Amino acid sequence: MPKVKETEILIVGGGPAGLSAASAAANLGASVLVLERDGKPGGQLIKQTHKFFGSKKQYAGDRGYQIGDLLIEQCRNNPNLEVWTDTTVLGIYEDGVVTAEGQGKHLKITPKKIIVATGASEKMIAFPNNDLPGIYGAGAVQTLMNVHGIVPGKRVLMIGAGNIGLIVSYQLMQAGVEIAAIIEAAPTIGGYLVHASKIRRAGVPILTSHTITEAYGDEGVEGAIICKLDESWQPVLGSEQDLKVDVVCLAVGLSPLTELCFQADCQMKYVPELSGHVPVRSEYLETTRPGLYVAGDVSGVEEASSAMVEGRLAGISAACSLGYGEDIAPKLQAEALAELSELRAGPAGQKTLRGIINLMDKGGVVC
Amino acid sequence: MQTKETIVCRCEDITLEEIKSLIDQGYRTIDEIKRVIRAGMGPCQGRTCRMLIAQELAKYYGIPVGEVLMPTFRPTVRPVKLGTFAGGE
Amino acid sequence: MLNKTGIPTAEDVKKVSPSEDRLKKGPVAIIECFQEIPCNPCTEACKQGAIQPMEDINNLPKLDFDKCNGCGVCLSRCPGLAIFIVDASYSDTEAVVRIPYEYLPVPQVSDKVVGLGRAGEELGVFEVIKVQSGGQKNKTYTLWLVVPNDLAMDLRSIRLGGVRHAN
Repeated sequence: MPKVKETEILIVGGGPAGLSAASAAANLGASVLVLERDGKPGGQLIKQTHKFFGSKKQYAGDRGYQIGDLLIEQCRNNPNLEVWTDTTVLGIYEDGVVTAEGQGKHLKITPKKIIVATGASEKMIAFPNNDLPGIYGAGAVQTLMNVHGIVPGKRVLMIGAGNIGLIVSYQLMQAGVEIAAIIEAAPTIGGYLVHASKIRRAGVPILTSHTITEAYGDEGVEGAIICKLDESWQPVLGSEQDLKVDVVCLAVGLSPLTELCFQADCQMKYVPELSGHVPVRSEYLETTRPGLYVAGDVSGVEEASSAMVEGRLAGISAACSLGYGEDIAPKLQAEALAELSELRAGPAGQKTLRGIINLMDKGGVVC
Repeated sequence: MQTKETIVCRCEDITLEEIKSLIDQGYRTIDEIKRVIRAGMGPCQGRTCRMLIAQELAKYYGIPVGEVLMPTFRPTVRPVKLGTFAGGE
Repeated sequence: MLNKTGIPTAEDVKKVSPSEDRLKKGPVAIIECFQEIPCNPCTEACKQGAIQPMEDINNLPKLDFDKCNGCGVCLSRCPGLAIFIVDASYSDTEAVVRIPYEYLPVPQVSDKVVGLGRAGEELGVFEVIKVQSGGQKNKTYTLWLVVPNDLAMDLRSIRLGGVRHAN
């Protein structure tokens, strides 16, 4: 292996955004290298057993892992494209060198363009005994069940009624695990109501305006105390309930994984609607560091369907900036932008739209 | 049952009480807290605790979370064995 | 209240229910989709032209009850598992409710199962008269359950059986 690997476009992360970016750019003729931390590309898609929403263009009706397989297949058949798995990007330096660790080796890559598609990490919340064995992030539960075939326990308290909390509850039920309750601090269910309804009619209570006050147990989780919250999010005295569970699963939101963007000195901004610090970027997803693009959850936490479209948009834009497909790129970019507006046009997308407006707004605090 | 601890930094086993006490003592940024107590210096490099500490600072100083100064981000994003830098194996 | 509990209200359900007359005529889809989300596979599933194409992908589905023949293709395609088929013409006293099902074990024909309403409340024990596989790719099963007429618009799930645990 040469000391320094050269590529035209380096993509950090082989999830829905990264793989979509890779095939879009490679299809226009650019040489693309995807670096994926995990042993297999596909990102979170490989753990999603439910059918996706959206339209045909985003493979609606197919299950997440099936979409993952499709994206992997598209990349495999492309001669311009390489995917290196078990390879973690460690740094992006001022001179444009990207370093990574792969199979115990320190690698250096000099790309002409970079697309950061690192996704997001799970948030945690602070409550007494939150480090007891049996307290999991929802992503960990999905990995255990859907990658390794192991159920985390017998009876679960799910914290969070966003889409992840609802979907992971459903998957646990499918695996034969009982859900004691799904609790949500907000006054309303955050995830899609069709997910909520299908769980509710199977007999699982969904308690909005509720929070966990503590978990308890000696060697591991034996139960949890939950309570009601009033309109100003304060605990209602005397509303405590003791739930006997052996697992507490946290699905309390995701944070964009933006360490590399900070390192690369992209201008960053905290945007609550996009779930955290995100890089300021153009409509075509180029950050304030020229030649560095973002796509997917790293640019604001959203659904996988929009991550795939963002990936395509970033891939086309990066390839086009290198002179590939200049004739058709504007049309493809316009198509992707139209799909994104369509996906975000409904009530569910309003938060993202507000976040993007907030992000593009020149005022406010930037890091 | 043992005393109930609320963990903020799982990697370095640091509690909410410890973080709050540092803030009471006048430590004002995530970086300062990191330097005295190692919060954010473990395997996850702050992915879990960073925003929890930011929330505590925001509460204490009565400012929005977005105004809390973020720490400096440097390569590497995760701990790497010295042997890797030395050429592998 | 749906957005606080996950349980569609009687008014919600009324909005998507056909007339008594239409119900009596034979199988018809009940699309219990009450939130505008970007999703349209039902419109493409319907070959009868009963589910009209959406102008905006976020629109709620619109079903023409008179064009719907209750074929059930939309039921097995809906990513939200929000479509049911009700056939109130099954007999004088009984109706057939078809529900989407993605749990294990899958009930067999002539099994008796505990039927549940939208809040997971028990409605009684009912017979499964048909089980349709969604196929290799789709994987969603359709269960056909015989219920008394007055429960046709209430039964929407069954009690999960054969719970498997670690150890």
